[in-house]
Amino acid sequence: MNGESYAVILVYSTSHAMRIEKLLAEQGIACKMIPVPRQISSDCGVCIRILRADVAAARTSVDAANIQVQGIAEV
Amino acid sequence: MSAVVDARGLACPQPVIRTRAALQTHDAVTTVVDNATSQQNVTRMAEKAGCTVTAETREDGIYLDIRKQGTAVQAAGPAAAAPAAGPLVLTIPSEFMGCGDEVLGEILIRAFFHTLGEVQPLPDTIVFLNSGVKLVVTGSPVLDDLRALCDQGISILACGTCLGHYGIKDQVAVGEISNMYSIAETLLGAGKVISL
Repeated sequence: MNGESYAVILVYSTSHAMRIEKLLAEQGIACKMIPVPRQISSDCGVCIRILRADVAAARTSVDAANIQVQGIAEV
Repeated sequence: MSAVVDARGLACPQPVIRTRAALQTHDAVTTVVDNATSQQNVTRMAEKAGCTVTAETREDGIYLDIRKQGTAVQAAGPAAAAPAAGPLVLTIPSEFMGCGDEVLGEILIRAFFHTLGEVQPLPDTIVFLNSGVKLVVTGSPVLDDLRALCDQGISILACGTCLGHYGIKDQVAVGEISNMYSIAETLLGAGKVISL
């Protein structure tokens, strides 16, 4: 995914992150669990990185699975 | 002076030990091994000691022609292996980061290796030990990150004994299978060792 534009799904807990990662992987949406980028938060947390092109699909999946997220930010 | 070390049939780390011993008294050594892992381990030791290594595969074994280069002679001894500002070595003794909840430990180790690709300074060598070796095999959650680090020239060593213990020696997907002899040399020759 080098050289791509990314977005991150910000979550409320690591268990939420894991659920989303599993969900997206099942649906064939490329994702990676990474630390929350410094420019977004200084807190020690993880988020799910996806391609910007997949934001809409990911949002639909997450909503359909009724997983609450803090938001989706472009990075 | 040259010497021949017949290391065929010898278990690791004997080929390395015998080659090293021969290099203490000879300028040129031909070591004959019968497997790729021994070839890699002997080659790595010799190159670290400043020797040139030429490999020739024959029907009865792999012949490693090892020659000392000028002033590098002393480097074969452990005393010369530890310069004041030596390499930065990172050891990974577990597949998890930290003690406690293992689910969290996996998340943290994944975050760690992702971050390692974005910060400085990078380690020169990463040594994987005990269950840490599970991170270098097929299916590891950090494989892509490790491959990227490898592409940047970072040496990745996985403990062969540990891979054997977990029955995953044939699944190594990144780095080199190493032995305690090389690992001990790497640690002792380091300028700084960081153990997770």
